[in-house]
Amino acid sequence: MTTTDSTFRRIVRRETHSPRTVATVIVVAILILALSYAAVEIVLALASQPPLLVTPAEAWAWVIALPTLQPSSAVIAGGVVLALFGVLLMVLALKPGRLPRHEMAWNGRVVVVDNGVIASALAERVSDETGVAREDITVGVGHRTVDVTVTPGPGVPFDSAPVKQLVEEEIRIFELTQPMNTRVHVSRARESDLD
Amino acid sequence: MNQTNRALNRTLLLVVGLVLLILGAAVVTVFVWPVAAEYWTKWTRAAQNWMEQAIAATMIPGMASGVVIGVLALIVLLVGLLIFVLTRIGGGRSRTVLRSTAADNPLGLVRVNDAFASDALKQALGQRGEILFSTVTTHEVRKEPVMQVSVTPRQNTSPRGVVEDVDHLVTNLATLTGKTVPTYISVRSGLRAKFADDQRRVN
Repeated sequence: MTTTDSTFRRIVRRETHSPRTVATVIVVAILILALSYAAVEIVLALASQPPLLVTPAEAWAWVIALPTLQPSSAVIAGGVVLALFGVLLMVLALKPGRLPRHEMAWNGRVVVVDNGVIASALAERVSDETGVAREDITVGVGHRTVDVTVTPGPGVPFDSAPVKQLVEEEIRIFELTQPMNTRVHVSRARESDLD
Repeated sequence: MNQTNRALNRTLLLVVGLVLLILGAAVVTVFVWPVAAEYWTKWTRAAQNWMEQAIAATMIPGMASGVVIGVLALIVLLVGLLIFVLTRIGGGRSRTVLRSTAADNPLGLVRVNDAFASDALKQALGQRGEILFSTVTTHEVRKEPVMQVSVTPRQNTSPRGVVEDVDHLVTNLATLTGKTVPTYISVRSGLRAKFADDQRRVN
């Protein structure tokens, strides 16, 4: 049974974290294009044909002259953009890239639920119990928190404590493997919105 | 759930990111710091001289220089490696959900195709009003067949109830075929759920 357990762990891990496929495909495509272009210019230079854009010798001369190129602000900006792209790719490589999904404890099976499904189910439950219209309830589900925002009608008294309890109870029924913090906000429509 | 080599993806992104960061930082440094600019010119000129000498020294008469051919070969190798990275993306789908050999089944070798499991489950799930859409696929995870049941319920449906339904159907399928397959259930939200009526239709 341990093989299945480790298989299940692997599935959950892969389903709740991004594979970074899109970024990889874009980077690989750009690299292949750039390398192919360099190869074409080298071959053209070997065959003494006119270059597509620059010959390899001209390109290297440009690299040597880099510190004296004008306008310097444009070159510096180019360098900064290059470095920022580098940082972006490194962040993509190193951040866990958690997807907006939660694992649900379930005996013998792996269950992963999108946060949107959990949020809309919670909102429906709150609406059923409190009588506040469904469209006046917004629920956001994050990795560790549930944010419930209720906008009761003007002048309608509303207590957030029972709602918090209700949401916590519902989440307990869902048996998410990640413990969740619940926050309930009551937002009152401003007078000016009521005209 | 596929067999994309994620470590490879991330390693590639990290290496390319690091190279871009170093290049960008170098460009900025040679502009704002004259000492760095001096070194830049010195080293790039030295590299140019070295390159010219190497090209001249390895010139194959009537053809190109060995160094140039080497550079071209390196480019071809790199492109090949990059294409290899692309081929590692995806994969892992399998057609067989369940396979039993003569040893554990009196009927002998029995294979249940994923199309059968998929049809059976989708048929049953399709009868439930709260489930808009479902797919059933099979993947090999560590050489083990794993069935993935992916369902998109209507908005405002309790995921627990949906999973209970699916769990029940999968158990029934296991009874029918006589073997339990590790099953992974995913409950999805998405555009399909957003645009469909959020309440179950009352017939």
